[in-house]
Amino acid sequence: MTATATKPAPPARHARGRQRPRQTREMWVLMLPALVPVVLFSVGPLLYGIGLAFTDAEAGRNHETSFVGLENFADLLGDGDFWSSMRIGLIWSVTVTVLQFLASLGLALLLNQKLFLRGLARVLAVVPWAMPPVVIGLMWRLVYHPDAGIVNSTLGTDINWLADFSWALPAIIVMGIWSGMPQTTVVLLAGLQNVPRELYEAGAMDGAGTWRKFWSITLPQLRPIIVTITSLDFVWNVNQFSLVYVLTQGGPGGQTRLPMLFAYEEAFRYGFFGYAAALGVSIVIVVLGLLGVYLWRQLREAS
Amino acid sequence: MRIKSALAAAAVVALAAGCGGSGGDSGSSGTPNEPVKLDFLSLAWQKESVAANKALVEEWNKANPNIQVTYVQGSWDNVNDQLVTSFEGGDAPDVIHDDSPALSGFASKGYLLDLTGKVPAELKADIPQAAWDTVTFDDGKGNQGVYGVPFLQESQVIIANKKLLDAAKVRIPTAGEPWTWDEFAEVSKKLTKGDTFGVAWPMKSPVNKTLNLALNFGGTFFQTGADGKTTVKVGAEEKEVLQRIHDQLYKDKTADTSALGMGTADPLPGFFADKYAMLPVGVYLRQQVAEQAPDGFEWVTLPPLKGTTTEQGAVSQTLSVAADSKHPEEAMKFMAFFLNGPNQAKLAKGDWLLPTSQKAAADPAITTEENGWDVATASAKSLVVAPFLKVNGFDEWKSKVATPVLQEFFANKITLDEAAKRLVEEGNEVLERYQR
Repeated sequence: MTATATKPAPPARHARGRQRPRQTREMWVLMLPALVPVVLFSVGPLLYGIGLAFTDAEAGRNHETSFVGLENFADLLGDGDFWSSMRIGLIWSVTVTVLQFLASLGLALLLNQKLFLRGLARVLAVVPWAMPPVVIGLMWRLVYHPDAGIVNSTLGTDINWLADFSWALPAIIVMGIWSGMPQTTVVLLAGLQNVPRELYEAGAMDGAGTWRKFWSITLPQLRPIIVTITSLDFVWNVNQFSLVYVLTQGGPGGQTRLPMLFAYEEAFRYGFFGYAAALGVSIVIVVLGLLGVYLWRQLREAS
Repeated sequence: MRIKSALAAAAVVALAAGCGGSGGDSGSSGTPNEPVKLDFLSLAWQKESVAANKALVEEWNKANPNIQVTYVQGSWDNVNDQLVTSFEGGDAPDVIHDDSPALSGFASKGYLLDLTGKVPAELKADIPQAAWDTVTFDDGKGNQGVYGVPFLQESQVIIANKKLLDAAKVRIPTAGEPWTWDEFAEVSKKLTKGDTFGVAWPMKSPVNKTLNLALNFGGTFFQTGADGKTTVKVGAEEKEVLQRIHDQLYKDKTADTSALGMGTADPLPGFFADKYAMLPVGVYLRQQVAEQAPDGFEWVTLPPLKGTTTEQGAVSQTLSVAADSKHPEEAMKFMAFFLNGPNQAKLAKGDWLLPTSQKAAADPAITTEENGWDVATASAKSLVVAPFLKVNGFDEWKSKVATPVLQEFFANKITLDEAAKRLVEEGNEVLERYQR
């Protein structure tokens, strides 16, 4: 009905309209090989897992799975083990992330100096990264061995570190810091090498000492890197499973039962898949929440 | 990265298609001459025992070209997690080695084949009813079924340093006249001298050990009410053994508190060095003692202690057939061969445990005085079905409630009454979930 009125316009619009779908189509075709595995192996299971959280899925042939709404989450809120696991998880991930960052920053600063055999030292710093978590776990089990372990023989103590109620968590935290240091160190070192030399020269001209240079030049320049690596470390640490599973399996008496271990036990040991899925979803919510607050504050301060 | 995963995905798809195709072919064209293939998941871990298992499988494969068994090595550490996933995934091994506490859960979930009426008469008669009771469970719908063949059992004995016993001039107990718990406490006091502790209680995993020993005084820890609901019970009978062990640790000071965090085999170096005179442990530990003891070290195996009775809770190692198995009859045939009298004797000898087969128990190899086999084999008559075997949710109660509570109690962090209260209250909450 508006054919006559709009006659002049269509050609141009038509041409553009035709081109865009083709471009989009090409883009999709090109992306398909990458998208298929992502959808198949990541998005699919993720949605399935979230769906499971609202059912009473259990292991077993005699069980009929039905939709239960938020019941799993209500049970979680009333489950003392869940809260103590979350508490342990937070202590673990915050301590490990913070101490890992401090230790790595120190190491990175050291490796950034003109040291004798610097190349070798840098390579050595990355070695823990090359080890599979199970190997790290087994190695640390030897380190903490009550009779043959190097810790007891060095300190002259007689403590069964991994079986002691108050020492088990600190013991695995030390291991966590050690095993996560390489990637943090490498990233920070890369960041340090990107800090422009001129800034230090200008600082030196103005009479700034080592500390002053560190506080006013190094740290602000590193800031984006620090925010990135600490956030990533935090997520990795919350989701840590293999290291602790090998070392303590969550014992003694659940003192090192990180949230992921708790979820694993619920699902594969006791067979409550729905409950475990709800746990997984809650962990994601907590991580996103904490990370959101952290990043928001960092970005606000930066701007 | 993306390209790699795309390639990997393509490879997976291709593989899956390939497997699906070939699987379908072989399934449809199953000629009668094609051998049946069975997977046998074995949890043997001691060297002799693995050798005995593999030798039996080989013997069977040679004698039965139509039923070929593949030996698959598993590990006690993670077998139940592994089985849950493979049952759910539908690729469980045909013949499964496990123990009776695990079977209870698997039976009620419908993962295992009910063997009632399928066990050959000869094998059924060779194994006493008490052992069959350790594998008889509810199928989750209210019917009782037999979900495995019990073949190896463990009893708690005392392994002692003979020189120290002789020096303290204590009476050596016999199967006919065992030590009572009182006598055991007295002996421990006599043996505690200088750097030597009378006894070491390795309590890294305290639950099964304490629960099995608690039966000495009739402690069952669980009761089933008229409404069919199972609850935890910690009364005077249950507290008896707990209190006695605690007394040895903190009142008599005849037990070393630093051994508490140890696993069963960990006190051995101390035992060989005269630091501990006696170890209350499972019979299988004799293997490590015999193997690792320094030259000239003399040790004896002492029979189980007596409370009001010498009864101990028994669990069995078992062979079961997966409900999904395509060849249950062949699997049962293999099990009947694997667990006949002479073969059980070989397995028991390999694992240093007690056979359920009466024929095997009469085998001279496991009734000799050497390495305490006579005492160990005789202790089998003290074994009764552990009451916790029939409790649905026991595994969760054990790891979430009982293990930490008992560890704290033995570490003297909480009193016996507090421990009892937590075992019952927190325990009932856990069990509740399984009875909905």
